[in-house]
Amino acid sequence: MVTQSAPSNAPFNIKDLFTENPRWCVGCGDFGILMGVKRFMVDTQIVPHNTVHVSGIGCSGRAPNYINAYGVHSIHGRPITIALGLALTRPDLNIFVHSGDGDALSIGGNHLIHGVNKNFKCVFLLYDNEIYALTKAQSSPTTRKGHATMTQPKGTFLDPLKAIRLVLGIGGSFVASTADWMPDHLANTLKAAFAHNGFAFVHISQRCPHFDPENFDHKNSSWFAFLKHEKGIAPDKRVADKCEIIAHDPGDLNEAFKLSNQEKSYFGLFYQDQNKPRYDEILRNQVASAKQLPREEILEKYKI
Amino acid sequence: MSVQKANVTRFELLMDAGFGAQKAGDILVQAFAKLGRYVYIEPMIPAEISPPPRTRPALSGVIIRLADFDITNIGNNTDVILAAHEIVLDRRLDDDEYNPQCRVLLDIGDKKGNEESYERVCKRVAQMGLSIYPIEMTPEALKIIQNLGGKGKNMYYLGMFAQIYGMPEQAIIDEIKETFGKKLNEDILNKNIEIFHQGLQYAKENIHFSYEVKSVPENIGGEKILIDGNTSLSMGIIDAGIKLFSGYPITPASSIMHTLAKELPSYGGMVHQAEDEISAIGTAIGAYYGGTPAITATSGPGLSLKQEFIGYASVTEIPIIIIDAQRSGPSTGMPTKTEQSDLPAAIFGNHGDNTKIVISVSNVIDCFYAPVMARYLAEKLRLPVFIMSDFQTANSYKVIKKLKVCALDNVNDIPDFVLERFHISRLSEKIEMVRTNQSTPGVEGGMRRVTGLNTDQAGHINYFSGVNQRSHQVRNEKVHTVRRALTKPEMFGKGEGELLVVGWGSTRGVIEESVDILSKQGYSIGGMHLKIVNPLPLMLKEIFSKFQKVVTVELAYGDQYKPAPLAMLLRAETLIDVQSMISRATGRPIRPLDIREKVKEFFGATQNF
Repeated sequence: MVTQSAPSNAPFNIKDLFTENPRWCVGCGDFGILMGVKRFMVDTQIVPHNTVHVSGIGCSGRAPNYINAYGVHSIHGRPITIALGLALTRPDLNIFVHSGDGDALSIGGNHLIHGVNKNFKCVFLLYDNEIYALTKAQSSPTTRKGHATMTQPKGTFLDPLKAIRLVLGIGGSFVASTADWMPDHLANTLKAAFAHNGFAFVHISQRCPHFDPENFDHKNSSWFAFLKHEKGIAPDKRVADKCEIIAHDPGDLNEAFKLSNQEKSYFGLFYQDQNKPRYDEILRNQVASAKQLPREEILEKYKI
Repeated sequence: MSVQKANVTRFELLMDAGFGAQKAGDILVQAFAKLGRYVYIEPMIPAEISPPPRTRPALSGVIIRLADFDITNIGNNTDVILAAHEIVLDRRLDDDEYNPQCRVLLDIGDKKGNEESYERVCKRVAQMGLSIYPIEMTPEALKIIQNLGGKGKNMYYLGMFAQIYGMPEQAIIDEIKETFGKKLNEDILNKNIEIFHQGLQYAKENIHFSYEVKSVPENIGGEKILIDGNTSLSMGIIDAGIKLFSGYPITPASSIMHTLAKELPSYGGMVHQAEDEISAIGTAIGAYYGGTPAITATSGPGLSLKQEFIGYASVTEIPIIIIDAQRSGPSTGMPTKTEQSDLPAAIFGNHGDNTKIVISVSNVIDCFYAPVMARYLAEKLRLPVFIMSDFQTANSYKVIKKLKVCALDNVNDIPDFVLERFHISRLSEKIEMVRTNQSTPGVEGGMRRVTGLNTDQAGHINYFSGVNQRSHQVRNEKVHTVRRALTKPEMFGKGEGELLVVGWGSTRGVIEESVDILSKQGYSIGGMHLKIVNPLPLMLKEIFSKFQKVVTVELAYGDQYKPAPLAMLLRAETLIDVQSMISRATGRPIRPLDIREKVKEFFGATQNF
């Protein structure tokens, strides 16, 4: 859909990013994420018409439709592939990928691996509600073991796949975690992710009150802690005084692995490496460093 | 010494993979072409990289058709076979593509220790009524080959062919120098030339027949190029102003990516090797959404994987170009054999309604201009456009006059001669889109979201019945715009009569050649070749009605209950009882002879060819 943007010389506000009322369930964590994204955009004043939100399929897939910028609501599991096409050819654009746990870790797992490995510049938001919601309550790769779903009614069979551990394991250069109910922390995490030089992976715990209301009990803080460091992301002000805060240097990969392997959830910056080579830059450099030739002579070398 | 004069002849060199049969062929045909002959070359490539030598799967070789007139296909049967040993010969004889008078030169260098095997194959050759000529390497040549670690036999065979086909020794030496001059040091280069010389001398003394194909003075001079289908497509991609090639390795499309990986950065473009086929097309679509012309290339298995994204591109109105270098299927099939059976998958392959344009290539010239044609259609219509090639077209090469380049930037500047080549007139300026706003990111005030969900004209997600029906109508009207713009397809022979032979893609050359010959012999026959296969032109029924019978020749399976793909399409389009005269999936190209035999059967003729 088309909407007018605010004039580029005037600052824009949250209202300017409005397109239509989202078609999500009441209480859905996606509202919190959407608000966090918009707050981040307003705080940093990134130009909406130079911004593209790319998504896959699922509840999270609808997000680009609700942000007044450019957007590509693509097909299931493949938003990273579209985002890469933009990142390679349009370095002037700000690229955000919105993907769910089914989208990114199941059907699109291969692209996540290679997106992380290619380390092209984008902010990747994993909306992890630990369930397939838009298709009505099937087990996802991150559904907790024993949780009954439509496809595994006696309880989900397997231990959940640990997304943060996975991304650290395949060489993620920016790995952070936040939650939909902490808009300050979410917006700050996106700020850090956007400032990152490469593929910034942001894991977002997302509530699904419709299909799994007891998950992510954000009133009880015993199951999570914040990571704190001068190079990290500050703990959420409203939640911090009620829960554990541990010091963690985001340059320490071994410690990041240990944290990612625990039962407890951690919010904050697990790991960051600003020096990992970027595939999008490598490809553009190939062009920049190649001697440019006139197309009129392309057949010369085939002359006999 | 018997000198056989011929207007056209065909010969082949059979070796183990990795010993340079194709390189020898390249050198030879460049010399032929410079000296005024017409050539058409088909390499034989094993599906594996380095199958064990002296085994049947190791067969690697080159078929060369040589004529004193312009040729459009690899022809019928072989007149001279030169085989490095008995096993590759035995394997190739299975294809049944030799003339009754075919001469078989068999290197007996491997005979020691393999007597039984040699005897069996020689017996087979004799039983087929073909004459066998045992040949061997001179001790001098063998010594050098040993010195080169076993390489260099191809140069010896090259020398023999040079002698048999009356090529001046110096002309070939010049070609060898041109081919290897920069890659080999002088000592090794000279050794190769010496082996070549040995082969030539050996043939002079021991082979008492030769062929003489006239040199055509008009064909001498002028700027000529030697190019294969995939290389021509690659250069066409650059010429079309495409700035991103996004692919995944698959035979026989990979060589396009190889060529572009070397060349495209020098023309401001990138080559991206994706993690899979789906990702490859997704990245091309992403680039095109950002306003950068992009293309992907694949073959059958990859096409199956890309289908969801192809439908997505139709709905979101993001232009995309897909090359399908067809190979034998279904499933993995025969990766290095040719077929044309992806046509339904290209036209109808994505779920839901299908709206796309499918163009095909029949030779290296089409290959060069197809990307320009495809980009014009993709951007004007904002629909997926296919370029259908096949193994045969991708790998066969020809010496042609140097082509005019388009250096396309804006698609509206497409030259008329390209439109004419694909039998289409210029599209109207006003083509309605499902969504009015088609802005590219970065355009202020144009912000829009695309989605695979149905939308209304303003781009809002919309599930109302009438709105969805409109989207279908608009997309299909874009296809109909092309349908109406299509001009009369290329015809051969008569415009009316008893029999019309129709084909698409790589069968053009054999249809043209066989219809020409049959027409001269007085048969009431016409030929038609379709370059754009979806949509089909509106006047098809009218043309078909002028013939008593319309048949197709296709490299795809069909039988009495199952029309082959093109026949099925033509039947549906015209309600005329089109049948397949040839619908086979043997992996080998159709020969002019096959068409001629079938046509004679049709006319009930009894004389033999």
